[in-house]
Amino acid sequence: MATTTITTTATSTRQWLDRLRALKLPRRFKVMNVCGGHERSIAMTGLRKALPPGIELVPGPGCPVCICPEESIYQAIQLALSEKIILVAFGDMLRVPVNVRKNEIRSLDQARAAGGEIVPIASPLEAVRIARDNPQRRVVFFAAGFETTTAPVAAMLAEGVPANLSVLLAARRTWPAVAMLLESGMPGFDALIGPGHVATVMGPEEWAFVPQQHGLPAAIGGFTGESLVAALYSVVRQLVEGRRFLDNCYPEVVRPGGNPAARRQIETTMEIVDANWRGIGTIPASGYALRPELAAHDAGKLYPSYDDDMRKRAGEMPPGCDCARVVLGRIYPDQCKLYGRACTPRNPVGPCMVSDEGACRIWWSSGVRTPRELADVE
Amino acid sequence: MEVIAVDGHMARCVAQGVEREVSLFLMQDEPATVGDFVMVHVGYAIQKMTPQEARSTWELFDQVLAAEQAEIDGLPDDPARAKDHA
Repeated sequence: MATTTITTTATSTRQWLDRLRALKLPRRFKVMNVCGGHERSIAMTGLRKALPPGIELVPGPGCPVCICPEESIYQAIQLALSEKIILVAFGDMLRVPVNVRKNEIRSLDQARAAGGEIVPIASPLEAVRIARDNPQRRVVFFAAGFETTTAPVAAMLAEGVPANLSVLLAARRTWPAVAMLLESGMPGFDALIGPGHVATVMGPEEWAFVPQQHGLPAAIGGFTGESLVAALYSVVRQLVEGRRFLDNCYPEVVRPGGNPAARRQIETTMEIVDANWRGIGTIPASGYALRPELAAHDAGKLYPSYDDDMRKRAGEMPPGCDCARVVLGRIYPDQCKLYGRACTPRNPVGPCMVSDEGACRIWWSSGVRTPRELADVE
Repeated sequence: MEVIAVDGHMARCVAQGVEREVSLFLMQDEPATVGDFVMVHVGYAIQKMTPQEARSTWELFDQVLAAEQAEIDGLPDDPARAKDHA
């Protein structure tokens, strides 16, 4: 629900595209974006088709719902069914499937149909309101998100929440996933467009490690065509001219240091922990946990774990689903063999087809309806 | 969204005719007031919007290069020429 007062003219986007086309590319370049909002802008404007040959744009880890630990969703489902609580969660979490046997409840949506009291919300403010309106009930806020969402959750906690409200936290940090890719030896991309909203909150400096430690160009991009193409131009020109720096192509909201008040709220309410990413595994220092002082509001401590040792594929993506490789930018969404066949928004198999920030869902919405020819698959 | 009313940490904001209640709790270091434009995410203002400066570092870099070139050429700094390189 980002809104901008700074209007973008088609001309300025076109001017950036013209400048991009004027660059003489010595070879093919692959540029990764790590934000669902970026991928939506790219897919919906048809930007890929307008790019000069030799420049590829691949979506990377930009969807917090997609990598939300499967076991956390399973726990949320079990809490809703077994603890007589009201469970609130951001709407796009409700249809994400977990790995259970065929006739068992596999999503929060199904748990709701089975009698679980589950309410989709669009803001932490609604979680507080629901807890206040139901003082006799226990309310659990299942909160998944990257830093941009984590800061409002932190603000909610710092401002003080009703005694009957607790948080099942699945908050993740974006840059450690990119660091993991870069340290893998096979990052699969030559340059990075950094996430505009994450940098708005945390500051662009978090992304300086990309040029400084890994020698890859990086530019923070906004969500208009103008800002996105400017960021793309910046990193491609850096590649062409052999210069490396972190550019800020979203200066109207991305400022040095980000939003210090927001960072402070996160620091006072949460600590950084190693965290599990669905289908990917544990990434060091990539998640947040509530500080011990907030134990009274930590659903992870207040309720028993419903983890079932007998559950097959716990923590993994569903069988046959290539969401993990889509999230890491190893393949494009339509290179998954389930894409558009077994897996559609109406009957999603993996989380990337569920969330509004999932690359598969975004590609489907932009009109890509069939999987790529097998010959194109790596 | 444009801030149209402020009450403590809460504000009424409007964008394209749609009004919403927005928390300003994350804006404590740079309080937003009526008439400010804020970036809103999940009901919280996360930053004030300010007029953009250079869209890319390359714009500044090219301006500096053009100015240097103009000096080298012994020519007055010609805005049309600078624009060419921007």
